[in-house]
Amino acid sequence: MSEDIISEIKKDYICALVEKGEREDGRAFDQYRDISIENGVVNKAEGSAYVKIGGTKVLVGIKIQPGEPFPDTQDKGVIITNVELSPLASPTFEDGAPREDAIELARVVDRGIRESGALELSKLCIEEGVKVWMVFIDVQVIDYDGNLIDAASLGAISALLDAKLPNERYELGKDVPVLVSDLPVAVTAVKIGEKFILDPNLDEEQAASTKLTVISNKDGGLAGMQKSGADTLSPDEIYHIVEMACKTAKDMRKKFLE
Amino acid sequence: MNKNLVIPGDLLSSDVKQAGEGTYVKDGQVFAAIFGFVNKKDRIQVIPLAGKYMPHSGDVVIGKIVDVRFSNWLVNISSPYEALLHISEYPERIDADQMSQCLGIGDLVVAGVKDVDVTMKVELTMCGESFKKLDSGGVIEISHAKIPRVIGRKGSMISLLKSELNCDIFIGQNGRIWVKGREEDINHTIKALLKIERESHTPGLTDRIKEFISDRKPTTM
Amino acid sequence: MSDKTIEFIEKGRRLDGRKLDELRPIKIEVGVLKRANGSCYMESGGNKVMAAVYGPREVHPRRMEDATKAIVRCRYNMASFSVEDRKRPGPDRRSVEISKVSREAIEPIIIKEHFPRSAIDIFIEILQADAGTRTAGINAASVALADAGIPMRGLVSACATGKVGGHIVLDLMKEEDNYGEADVPIAMDVQNDKVTLLQMDGRLTQDEFKQALELARKGCKEIYEMQRQALIAKYTV
Repeated sequence: MSEDIISEIKKDYICALVEKGEREDGRAFDQYRDISIENGVVNKAEGSAYVKIGGTKVLVGIKIQPGEPFPDTQDKGVIITNVELSPLASPTFEDGAPREDAIELARVVDRGIRESGALELSKLCIEEGVKVWMVFIDVQVIDYDGNLIDAASLGAISALLDAKLPNERYELGKDVPVLVSDLPVAVTAVKIGEKFILDPNLDEEQAASTKLTVISNKDGGLAGMQKSGADTLSPDEIYHIVEMACKTAKDMRKKFLE
Repeated sequence: MNKNLVIPGDLLSSDVKQAGEGTYVKDGQVFAAIFGFVNKKDRIQVIPLAGKYMPHSGDVVIGKIVDVRFSNWLVNISSPYEALLHISEYPERIDADQMSQCLGIGDLVVAGVKDVDVTMKVELTMCGESFKKLDSGGVIEISHAKIPRVIGRKGSMISLLKSELNCDIFIGQNGRIWVKGREEDINHTIKALLKIERESHTPGLTDRIKEFISDRKPTTM
Repeated sequence: MSDKTIEFIEKGRRLDGRKLDELRPIKIEVGVLKRANGSCYMESGGNKVMAAVYGPREVHPRRMEDATKAIVRCRYNMASFSVEDRKRPGPDRRSVEISKVSREAIEPIIIKEHFPRSAIDIFIEILQADAGTRTAGINAASVALADAGIPMRGLVSACATGKVGGHIVLDLMKEEDNYGEADVPIAMDVQNDKVTLLQMDGRLTQDEFKQALELARKGCKEIYEMQRQALIAKYTV
């Protein structure tokens, strides 16, 4: 059944509120829902983070194990990012092959970590051409109440900060923390009417016409972007979102990652 | 600790004549079938705290037309079961080829549950004074288990909302609520309804809703 | 099974200090998910398990419908990072079997006749595994069903017993599971004293099996009390 389709009246209600400068839950346009992060929640993982943004909950686990390098990058470690939209998290998520949403989400999270240079892949080489560290970033979506990209991205970098290279297990010396060189933070804005709000909850996400995710680094530079949704954005609107996103990312980085 | 709260399997009575909604009988005794509050009126029943709307004959619901088929409309009633509205249950005599003009896909109706058979085939009727197509206003949906809170004890909550919020409100037993009024008032009413849904199991709800209404009042004048 | 010489039991205490008939610490939280119709988070020992229930809802595909009652579906899944060596995402033979036996452990207590032509979906996600994930999953799922308002004849409670170092013990921990002589996961409809899940892996005499089942009965009763309290606590301010 169409359980994720919010009723027209609620959609109108959300749009009318945004038009007036308000949000359903009383937040300012650039205000996130309450965020909490718990690290070290999965002792079988090398690093983990349980992230809640309002009603949205994701659990990110990092597994690190030795493997063969890719032929074209013999001296570099490997990052593999995977997202599971567990059917537990929403009436619309089904068992079976990953949907395009899951794949897009995994690729955006991956891009943020990779392009920001958060992990220096050359430091993840054990023996050139033979053995490198494979870093698996697995995102388990537990409860879907909107804005998964920001929750998953925040979880990924936070779990990496929590992670150790399991040297002891593979008789390579002592465990050491994974070297994290940058702190990419994803901030997503959606367009409702002619206005833009950050961190949409599920209802707002469904009332929105399009969204833009901006991933920025410690130095304020950009490390990834993704526009998602069928409506258009003008260059000025994009600049507005980028500015808002970078400013917010800075605050979030300070609060949760530094 | 609330003494009236029971879980499935709790023994409620040794008198099988007492068995009401939300209970089951085994070996001459009555047990709770669902997690909820026990209510002893003429019979023992367990009031659910959650769960989907299950249609019963005689219920008044707000339905949404999802398909028009030969001599029947298919109606979503916010339940695991879709309902049928037969052409003969439409208030006027119409031909099959007029059906879409009378009620098209997406239209909302207030209808009565005429019959529910053992396989949960649900039939609706619109023959009756209070039944109609909802042309204006809009419908919001909340958990049907929270509907009793929106109505309140002896209708106290709903009369409070109606008298203070300048809106027509009609409550379907399936968890859908129709609201009509000025846009400003509608939005205000929805806010109040969502608040009731969110805080339904906390004490002093009526007072807080009163406060919420009076806080906002000056802006609506 | 065991060629390792671990002293499992010393002076009536196990490796983690428990008595032979003692459960690991259990924590149960009810209604933790926003989207699901019912949910439960449970920790038992080092297991961390989330269960969600959706339904009754329409059945897709339609041909799976039963005109007389609800169908019950169950998916047991382990998160990739829940075990020592990363597990590839998606179902494997083990999780398919556990999904099946878990469903059959829970199905007998659900009053399915109330919901013909519909589906009740149970999703069990193992977030951290530490021996006994299937029984923890069943315990959490049973509570999640009650939280979803599904009519049931009672609750299902589950625990494993087994034999280690020649002793019958309750609720095997990892080392006991790996190197012990037998593992017997059991689920019960406690109030009616009926077994809904029974598997055995290893070797036991008939007499030992009897002891194991009796011990599981005691364990399930204790778990039932905790499930009940967790449900009541949700609506007790």
